[in-house]
Amino acid sequence: MKNISEHILTEPRKDFLQRLVAFMPNLLTCLIIFVFGFIAAWIVKYIVLKIANLLRVDQFCAKVGITETFGKVGIKEPPARLLSRIFYWLVVIIFVIIALYTLKVPAIEVLLEKFFLYLPDLFVAALLIIVGYILGNFLGRTALIASVNAGVKFSRLLSKGVKAVVVLLALVMALEQLGIGSGTVIVAFTILFGGFVFALSLSFGLGGKDIARQYLEGKVKGESEEKDDLTHV
Amino acid sequence: MPENSVILGEDIREQIEEVKEADILIGVPSYNNARTIVHVVKAVEAGLSKYFPDNKSILVNSDGGSVDGTMEVVKETTVDFASMLVRHQLGGYRKFVTPYHGVPGKGSAFRTIFEIARVLKVKACAVVDSDLRSITPEWIELLIKPILNEGFDYVSPYYLRHKYDGTITNTIVYPITRALYGKRIRQPIGGDFGFSGRLASFYLTKDVWDTNVARFGIDIWMTTTAVANAFKVCQAFLGAKIHDAKDPGADLSAMLHQVVSSVFDLTEEYFPVWSKVSNSEPVSTFGFVYSVGLEPIKVNLDGMIEKFRLGAQELSSFYESFLPAELLRHLAEMAGKTKDSFSIPDDLWVEIIYNFALAYHRRVMSREHLLKSLTPLYLGKVASFVIETWESTAEEVEKRLEELCIAFEKAKTHLAEKWEQQV
Repeated sequence: MKNISEHILTEPRKDFLQRLVAFMPNLLTCLIIFVFGFIAAWIVKYIVLKIANLLRVDQFCAKVGITETFGKVGIKEPPARLLSRIFYWLVVIIFVIIALYTLKVPAIEVLLEKFFLYLPDLFVAALLIIVGYILGNFLGRTALIASVNAGVKFSRLLSKGVKAVVVLLALVMALEQLGIGSGTVIVAFTILFGGFVFALSLSFGLGGKDIARQYLEGKVKGESEEKDDLTHV
Repeated sequence: MPENSVILGEDIREQIEEVKEADILIGVPSYNNARTIVHVVKAVEAGLSKYFPDNKSILVNSDGGSVDGTMEVVKETTVDFASMLVRHQLGGYRKFVTPYHGVPGKGSAFRTIFEIARVLKVKACAVVDSDLRSITPEWIELLIKPILNEGFDYVSPYYLRHKYDGTITNTIVYPITRALYGKRIRQPIGGDFGFSGRLASFYLTKDVWDTNVARFGIDIWMTTTAVANAFKVCQAFLGAKIHDAKDPGADLSAMLHQVVSSVFDLTEEYFPVWSKVSNSEPVSTFGFVYSVGLEPIKVNLDGMIEKFRLGAQELSSFYESFLPAELLRHLAEMAGKTKDSFSIPDDLWVEIIYNFALAYHRRVMSREHLLKSLTPLYLGKVASFVIETWESTAEEVEKRLEELCIAFEKAKTHLAEKWEQQV
């Protein structure tokens, strides 16, 4: 009976305590790295903010329209501060990962390995979305101004369409990069984009057939918009 | 061997060595102008023989790689002096025909001309377009004599134009150049100029030959550089300017972008100069000024007003990022008016242009987007101007433009104050 109780209770308890004692230094190291990580992150954040202010990052972002773009998606923080926060969390994440490695728990190690392998994809996807959004805004604005100058009545709609297509394309590329339903996303995008173009052709063909006729007549017969004799320069 | 001969070819350097020095140089930039350049070369040669027979003169054709035989045509062109009652040049006359190097554009062609003028130590130069139909020998006299005889450094052309010709010049370039630099040069982007050898050398010291100045902005750059650097400037009345239509394929917004960006780039560069200038003064005008009756011309007023309305509505959210709210409210009000009551007052127009200049200076967005978005507002101003002056004579229109210029001058202090403020 005594042997059984030793076998069932005492030995596992001893084993557990031994493992716990063996684990404690790892946990302590983990906690120390964790705390040190936050301190290091705070220092990095401070330095990055100082450098960003020195390089007038806020003014540059305002000039090239990044601040405006951020504002539209609800990010009101100045870009320099935002950059310093990104660096802060990057350092924190790096230290958290190092700290978790010191625990030497196989399950956590496998998870971290997978996470590490996924990181480049995540980074590329984020970059694709950001670039897509900025490019979409730029091309949308280009389309808006060009169509207004050409006298197109539905300029704003056209501009929004251009922007939506570019952003959607970037989103699809990002999802494909992340491997999230890659086949489905591409098929969905193809159907959506094809449908959009088809709808546009149909609506132009039916709704704007008179305009199309007038336009083509103008082109073929040379009956375009009434020209004037003004010399601008 | 001439210094800084990087931009000059071997053959032209040899010719320069032979000539050594000259008094007058006339430059003709060209690119596929075989059809029209004969007349220009003849007028130049006749002008030099008639008005400067004792001076050693050079004609330089600076060509951008024509494939229609322009350079050959220039070489072969001769003048029948007897029929023009003109005697041959006694001081000596030579023709240099050379391709220019650098970025394609009128500015690069001019750079070659300036360089030859510098090396030959010429006293007076002039440049005339190669597509001119109306140039006469008298143009050479009017562009050169103020330099040789009167001590001026820069002669700006003053053409006889229809009251609705040159609307970008009339509503933007002339008023803003005059307000900023204080000299009343009526057509600062005319295209045919006279200048001293000293000024040609000064132009060469500027590091602009890889910029838009070399491509399309040379005209306003030459005028502004001369004025802002205190060279002695005047203008010469040349009569009508008839030439080939300027790139019929180019659209208005691209043209507006080119012209206005050239003006605004110079506004950036010369802030220390123009911020100290107040009011404006007339410049000496040479030549026999006359006017002729106005030919009625076709103006598509409805089209212009419609484009203004479209711009004011569709671009309103875009304008919000750099135009004051009060100004936007005025624009919205104008967009709602009928043709009969449509008007963009001078004060409003000045505020628009100065706010565009500030936005350009502060780089609040893509500069191309910014300036191309000016097109509908510009068309609105032109429409308003046409409505207001439809019955006016050319002299009355000039008076009306004078009022616009004064509005630009009055608001300039405000522009200077805002210029250095951060966004």
